Formats: sequence, structure tokens, C-alpha cells
Amino acid sequence: MEYTKELLKEIGLEPERLEMFHIGASDAPAWAKAVTLMTERAKALGPNPLKSI
Amino acid sequence: MIVASRKPFEEIKKSLSGYRNILVVGCGTCVAVCLAGGKKEVGLLTSQLRMSYGLEKDPVNISEETLERQCDREFLEMICDRVKDQDALLSLACGAGIQFLAEAYPEKPVYPGVNTTFIGVAEAAGLWTERCRACGECLLAVTGGICPRTKCTKGLNNGPCGGMTEGKCEVDQERSCAWVTIYERLAREGRLAQIEPMLSPGDFRSQTRPGTVTHRAYLRRYHAGSK
Repeated sequence: MEYTKELLKEIGLEPERLEMFHIGASDAPAWAKAVTLMTERAKALGPNPLKSI
Repeated sequence: MIVASRKPFEEIKKSLSGYRNILVVGCGTCVAVCLAGGKKEVGLLTSQLRMSYGLEKDPVNISEETLERQCDREFLEMICDRVKDQDALLSLACGAGIQFLAEAYPEKPVYPGVNTTFIGVAEAAGLWTERCRACGECLLAVTGGICPRTKCTKGLNNGPCGGMTEGKCEVDQERSCAWVTIYERLAREGRLAQIEPMLSPGDFRSQTRPGTVTHRAYLRRYHAGSK
């Protein structure tokens, strides 16, 4: 994950756009927490500039 | 195997500036094993290039191909149709493969995507260390399978030097002295007598560049002397 974030940084894309969470298949609260975190992060970073490609 | 590492992304991108159609060519042998230029690394780099050009809204067309090897013409010939439409080729093979690709397609600019470093081995996942300098006169039979030309910082033919301290190299305190390692290995094997006579200086004529090796069975075909 760290390496992939480095690859994103190399091309000028925010590494925070990518994250990995280890969540048990039945652990819904942890899933909801992760989704909320990434949603807030995405809103703070703004739309992905590559969306149009 | 030959060990290489990918060049910094900025350096690769700078070398490709101005081209509209680029083919990234990987190699499925040594550079694939050392995670520098195989199919997966080609995929990663082409994705990075497409995304990077996309961020700049620069319509560059990046294609990818990975050959079994780039050091054999039969594999290089396989992409001749694809190469026709390209402005430039970026090779992730070792230095030998990059040059052979350039020779195979003399009308296309060829750029390196890796730095070729040494002949080495996989110590552990993601870690490779040098073992051989390709000196052309292997003396591993005498030195118990440990190469002093590679592992000794000074490349001494006879050692250790006067700077060795408690088995460690004077140039790098973290490193064991190669000649101490050789001594200990030969002692264990009861072969210390092998390093009692001084080894004669290396024959640097065998390191004349560029080197050529002709197999004995092909000497007549290539009108070569014995090598």
C-alpha cells in the first residue's frame, strides 16, 4: 500500500485517495466507519482530476 | 541474474517528452524477477504514464508489450508490426536488452526505463545483492565459492588487506571481510592449501570491452579464435 501511494505521489496524485482497510466480512460497523472516512476524505480532496479519462 | 531497478518516474517522463505514441516494452526474464521490468511493472508504469499525461490533459498514446526476453532477436522480431505506429520505445529490459531492441529497430528512438546494476542473487523478497563482476576468469574453485573481486571492497586477488579488523572490512565496518569469509570456508572444507600460493594478478585482457564469447562448436562458423 505504501509503495502504491508512492507511485501515485510520483505522478502528482494525492496518495490519500487510496487506502486499505482490513475488515472482517461480517464487521459492518468497521465497514461503515471506513466508508465514512473515505467519503469525507474524497470530499476534502475534491473530484479526482482523472475522472474524465 | 542481471539486477536492475526502475528509473525515477520524473526522469522517464522527461526522456519521453514530445512523443505522441509510445510503446513500453518489458522483459520476462531477469528484470521481471527483480521486479523492475516485467509484465506487472510494465502495467504499473504505463498506468502511471497514462494518468500523468491525463492530469496534464496531454493526449499521449501509451501501449505496452512484454517479451520473453529482449536479448534474443527472435523475440524482438515479434513486435515489428506494433513498433511501426510508435514514435518512441521505452524499454524496461537490462542494458543489453535495451541496446538489442535499439539495434532491431534503428529507425525508432529507444529509451531506458531502468538502471542496470549488477549480476546478483535474491537474498530475500525484494532484496538483491551483487555476486559476480563477469571478470572472465572465474576463480571460485580456489576461493571456496566466494568471489573476492566482487565481495572484497577493494577487489583484492590476495587478502585480507592490512585494514581488516576483527573480520570486518576497513572500508565498511558493517561488512565482513571477504577474504576472512573465504579463509573460514576453506578451513571448514580442509582446503586452505589452495590459497597458500599467491594468486597471480587478474588478466584484464579478458575484460576488454565490448566482450565476445563464441561457443567452441561455432568457432568455424564465426571464424573466431578459441575463447
